Amino acid sequence: MSQDLVAELLAQSLVAWRLAGNVRRMADGSLALSYNGIDITVEPAPPGGPFRWMVTVAGRRRPAVSLVAVLRQVRTALDPGYAKNNVRVAVAPLVPS
Amino acid sequence: MTPVLVLTGFLGSGKTTLLRHLLRQPEFSRTAVIINEFGEIGLDHDLVEASDDSFIALTTGCLCCKVRDDLVATLDDMLRRRAQGRVPPFTRVVIETSGLADPAPILHTLMTDPIMAEYLTLGGVVTSVDAVTGAATLDREAVSIKQVALADRLVLTKSDLAGAAPPELLSRLARLNVAAPLLHADHGRIDPQALFGAGQYDSRDKSFDVRSWLGEGPDEHLHHPHDADIQTYAVVREAPIPAVALTLLLETLAEHCGADLLRLKGIVNIRESPDRPAVIHGVQHVFHAPTWLARWPSDDRRSRMVVITRGIPQGWIEALIDALAAEVAEASGSQTLGA
Repeated sequence: MSQDLVAELLAQSLVAWRLAGNVRRMADGSLALSYNGIDITVEPAPPGGPFRWMVTVAGRRRPAVSLVAVLRQVRTALDPGYAKNNVRVAVAPLVPS
Repeated sequence: MTPVLVLTGFLGSGKTTLLRHLLRQPEFSRTAVIINEFGEIGLDHDLVEASDDSFIALTTGCLCCKVRDDLVATLDDMLRRRAQGRVPPFTRVVIETSGLADPAPILHTLMTDPIMAEYLTLGGVVTSVDAVTGAATLDREAVSIKQVALADRLVLTKSDLAGAAPPELLSRLARLNVAAPLLHADHGRIDPQALFGAGQYDSRDKSFDVRSWLGEGPDEHLHHPHDADIQTYAVVREAPIPAVALTLLLETLAEHCGADLLRLKGIVNIRESPDRPAVIHGVQHVFHAPTWLARWPSDDRRSRMVVITRGIPQGWIEALIDALAAEVAEASGSQTLGA
């Protein structure tokens, strides 16, 4: 998917989380985030596997199944005060029956 | 399903006067009323006279602080007594909150409690605002800002005392909640139908009045104001959104925003359901399961969401929708969908 879309999402996420970091598009297709001395790289996962993204924080590379998981990993790394809210989305059909 | 209208507003803003007038109207017959008062000895319920086919229950203490116990117990008792024929067969419920109550926990309860979900549906939030003291109250009392921000309808009371409604107050209310129409009550008198149309549920035709609920009128343009850190804006997307992307969006908002997402409501064009739009509704981190309209209420088939937040940028929600829709579309092997 478009690198621009993901870059915009990450940049807007920093704003939403009130973190004054920045996002850079790298030539190899990855995205580099920097905030408060912490560097994070987000890149597409190798094709053929179950994961869509790889997130590298301080040299540790971990997979992510979706952008939702990427956001969770990034925020956990950048925002020590973050405690995710319990998600309470009721079970419901995705389309009308 | 029995619609529940939540009537809120700061202390002295005219809720009880409004309610007293409404209960005298034929349109408000067969109404069960729950009045919540702060303090052990209630008074407001003595000021409200119900007709023979309506009745009033009283709770004391702050409803938003012990809502799980008191409100659920009261509503459960009402429903059981209705089923047993021990109370008039009411067709709607009005909850008048304490003036100090944060309406959000009350909405949470109505949206999530299994008993409530089976028999009751949120019919809307109406907030009364005192034309004389409203501006000072908004300056001083944070909860009053939340009461205004969460409203589907705002009712300006006591404007007969204030003369013309103060322009500063009107502009401030418009900034705090641009989507909620502002109604005027004259000595507590107001057209009941104007309040019935406040929520998702339209008791007249048992359908969703989505355009009204979203605050859409002849001028649908929403601005981007801010007041006391609260913003209201509309997110509009032309392209249908995959159902999974909508689920991921709601989960992400709930996970990351918490109390900063005061309210989100909207009508969404789901890619897999082009003729039946989804209606979504969330308060803070709690979301209703989406409901489905039988058809589009107008020719406008764009997804439209009204968002009331404290500090969540519009750009983030738009970027989330676009990125999640693109990811889901790519994962499902179809063409990329976006704004």
